[in-house]
Amino acid sequence: MTLTPQEVRKQVMDYLEATECSIIEVSPLHVTVKLSPRADRMLTDRPYYWGFVERTGTPPETLSFTFVFDPEKYDHLAAAAQAAPTSRQPRGAGDRTAAAGLPAGAGAAGMEAGADTGGTTTGGPLAGTAPPEGSADPQDSILARFFGFVPPLPRIGPGMIRREDVTYGSKRLGQIWSAAREEGKCLQLFEDPGSRQRMTLFSAAYEPWLAVCYKVEMSCDLKREELHFIGVSLTSGLIVPDFEAKLGSRELTPRLPENIHIEPSGLSLAAGADKLEGYLTSKLALLDYTWAEEARERLRLELSIVDIYYEELLKEQDEEKRLAILEQYNRRRKETAWQYEPQIAVSAVTYGLFHLRST
Amino acid sequence: MTQLFRNPLPEEDPTNDSVLPVPLSFERKWLDELESSLEKGGPWGNWRLSRLAIQGEKSGLVTSFDELQCMKHLSGLSPLPHQLDTAHKVLFQMSGRAILADEVGLGKTIEAGLVLKEYLVRGLVTRVLILVPASLVLQWVRELNTKFGISAVAQKKAYSWDNSIVVASMDTAKRDPHKEILLNHEYDMLIIDEAHKLKNKKSTNYLFVQQLRKKYCLLLTATPVQNDLGELFNLITLLKPGQLGNQGDFATNFVVDKRQPKNEVQLRGELSKVMIRNRRGEGPVNFTKRKVRNIPLTLSPEEKVLYDGVTAFVKDQYQEAGGNLSSMLSLVTLQREVCSSRDAVFITLVNLIKKLPADSPKRERMMELLQTLRTVKTNTKAEKTMELIRGMNEKVIVFTEYRATQEYLLQYFRDHGLQCVTYSGGMNRGKKDWMMDLFRGRAQVMIATEAGGEGINLQFCHHMINFDLPWNPMRVEQRIGRVHRLGQENDVVIYNLSTEGTIEEHILHLLHEKINMFEMVIGGLDVILERFEKKESLEKSLYKIMLEARSDEELRSGLDHIGESLSELTHGVRDESEAGA
Repeated sequence: MTLTPQEVRKQVMDYLEATECSIIEVSPLHVTVKLSPRADRMLTDRPYYWGFVERTGTPPETLSFTFVFDPEKYDHLAAAAQAAPTSRQPRGAGDRTAAAGLPAGAGAAGMEAGADTGGTTTGGPLAGTAPPEGSADPQDSILARFFGFVPPLPRIGPGMIRREDVTYGSKRLGQIWSAAREEGKCLQLFEDPGSRQRMTLFSAAYEPWLAVCYKVEMSCDLKREELHFIGVSLTSGLIVPDFEAKLGSRELTPRLPENIHIEPSGLSLAAGADKLEGYLTSKLALLDYTWAEEARERLRLELSIVDIYYEELLKEQDEEKRLAILEQYNRRRKETAWQYEPQIAVSAVTYGLFHLRST
Repeated sequence: MTQLFRNPLPEEDPTNDSVLPVPLSFERKWLDELESSLEKGGPWGNWRLSRLAIQGEKSGLVTSFDELQCMKHLSGLSPLPHQLDTAHKVLFQMSGRAILADEVGLGKTIEAGLVLKEYLVRGLVTRVLILVPASLVLQWVRELNTKFGISAVAQKKAYSWDNSIVVASMDTAKRDPHKEILLNHEYDMLIIDEAHKLKNKKSTNYLFVQQLRKKYCLLLTATPVQNDLGELFNLITLLKPGQLGNQGDFATNFVVDKRQPKNEVQLRGELSKVMIRNRRGEGPVNFTKRKVRNIPLTLSPEEKVLYDGVTAFVKDQYQEAGGNLSSMLSLVTLQREVCSSRDAVFITLVNLIKKLPADSPKRERMMELLQTLRTVKTNTKAEKTMELIRGMNEKVIVFTEYRATQEYLLQYFRDHGLQCVTYSGGMNRGKKDWMMDLFRGRAQVMIATEAGGEGINLQFCHHMINFDLPWNPMRVEQRIGRVHRLGQENDVVIYNLSTEGTIEEHILHLLHEKINMFEMVIGGLDVILERFEKKESLEKSLYKIMLEARSDEELRSGLDHIGESLSELTHGVRDESEAGA
């Protein structure tokens, strides 16, 4: 499954809004944003800077970015905007006003990216390639010459906004997802009872659910994956295989709502986890395991080749040499098993307690 | 998507007590975290972000065992069909251990990048070691980062090894203290570029790679079989010991003598299980044309005198040495240099004189040659080159075999107001990169020596001048390969300078007319040479003929003889490839 620029945009916007970043400018093709301290910590890889801020208590200066979701269209529009004489404005934060179709800032940001040697523009000139002219930051290119590739350095100050193309497969998108997981994996949520509940006399009964989004990785020399979002009721022990559907359109809130009570749990968390794992195991047992058999067959074949090869060599008379060969043989056998041996590993992407209104 | 689980090298045989036919493991760290959050009353994750994370996982989920996933993660790259095919084969037929042996310029790096990306996307690989010649380290780092979005890091200090994807030079890696560190790591994937350097199983390179712990492994080389079938056996044994049986089996089944295989069809079948070799003529890869201009030049009278003087001297020495070729190499060099520039001759002569005992009779003769050298004031070739460059008014790369000629040309071009840079094997990698950048940007001319041939990509330039010619056709092909490769959008124009009435003229004739190598886009040069060189290398045969010929006539007939057999082989190979297609 791949994502269209619109879908990518939705993901990024979701993240930026959820982390309370301040959006400076937005169009269907791009967003210019000043990161919130929280998002900055997760995305800009500046542990020393944040360490400095914490220790000295200085007000943090977060970075700003222009994320472009559809680089081709965006560049096209930016070029058009530049060609139009009206959009010729001095560059600077204060002067950004919307111009036909695309905000003027886009033109400036686009131009900056053009002169930016270390930029992440895919398909652009190689990093470290000094363009024939232009105001490339020389430090960038010297570093790039030494290291081969340098991730773009942060730029601080008004107007210093780095452009970045965020498409499916780009590092930034991957980083946003893993940042989201980092801050969203461990949950405790309550169903929003709505405003009417506060007025009613009786408190509503809530049932606690333990739910985990499992990632199942079936690997041999190849690999397949599945996701299973399963929930178990800690009162009744009932399993809900598609917990996402159960949540459906319920509004969830992190705060304990008024006038509700939570039913006592019959199961401990560990017991709940056992149930979930038991259920998932039984479900996995129903799958087709031809792939594993085939992998074992490949493994057997490879091992037999290795065995035959070393059998001859192990007839070596010199004990010292023989030991060296034996060691090599064992290493090769281990490597082969490592490469082919089928196995399934299950881990949790997100997990938590969901308190849902009893029905 | 997110790497949640890395499969390490197993310590013991896995035990299987579950209800599944496959060992199953649950990671339960999450439960501790959940319990500790409950105890402390937080911190709790954000539901919106949580859903975002799940969507991310969903979009990156590998839903099928046998389908390339990497392409949807790569936006700026459009690989050629044969490159995708190769990646597909490596994954699904070879299980990640393969020799990638495409001919020069077909994009082995891209193929390796695709395979690596695929394994990374699938989460089957996290720790990667890439060993390449020092001059290619930065290029690999760049390509992986910019084309594939793979965060590879160049090895600079001992701590660099801790990165998950490291590119390093083989020479550094195999030395202490690095060796120790690397042997203690285990690598999900090992990639080795220019792997033909691993053909000798006694070499430190070989032993080192053999000891590295690796799951998947790619060996890249354009010349898997240069001379010796035994070398091919070694390379494959490094990758998959036993694939061709043991050394004895291999020798009895496939080898007549070390350069000549038997049961070729069967051997090819065995090879295709571990090796992929795409050739230029095959598939829909469209290369632009090669246009060859041979520029005949007449030596000035002074140059001619020098040429004759050196030739006579070299021949006399050979007679005196009783036809022993190995002691004659510096003299052969002298003979070749005199076709290039007087500066080159000068340096070699002076070095020779220094080595002679003070009372050697040769001394006088050599001093005489030095005197003749002084009379030469101009360089016909350099003048012509200047004229050519002025005429084309585009970027051009000038190749010479000799550092002295390179220096001379640099000076000469600068004096005439041309912007030029040099490129040679002795430069460190930073300087090489810098020179390439300069050539791409400001300079019009790059003057490169042979050693600089390997690993530079100059698709943006489509003129090249062979100021002098190597006598080894493979090296000529390597020169051309710098410019004429994937990504070249123009026809490549190759200028060959040759001075009339010199040995050079004959060599050019041989390369051009007999092998037709300058226009040969079909490839197969390696096969032709392999067959020709069953007894002796082409270069050596040429030396012999040159030294032994008493007259021009004899020289010509000797060369013609070589030419005939080469051209026969060329036709043979061509017919075969047509029959195969």
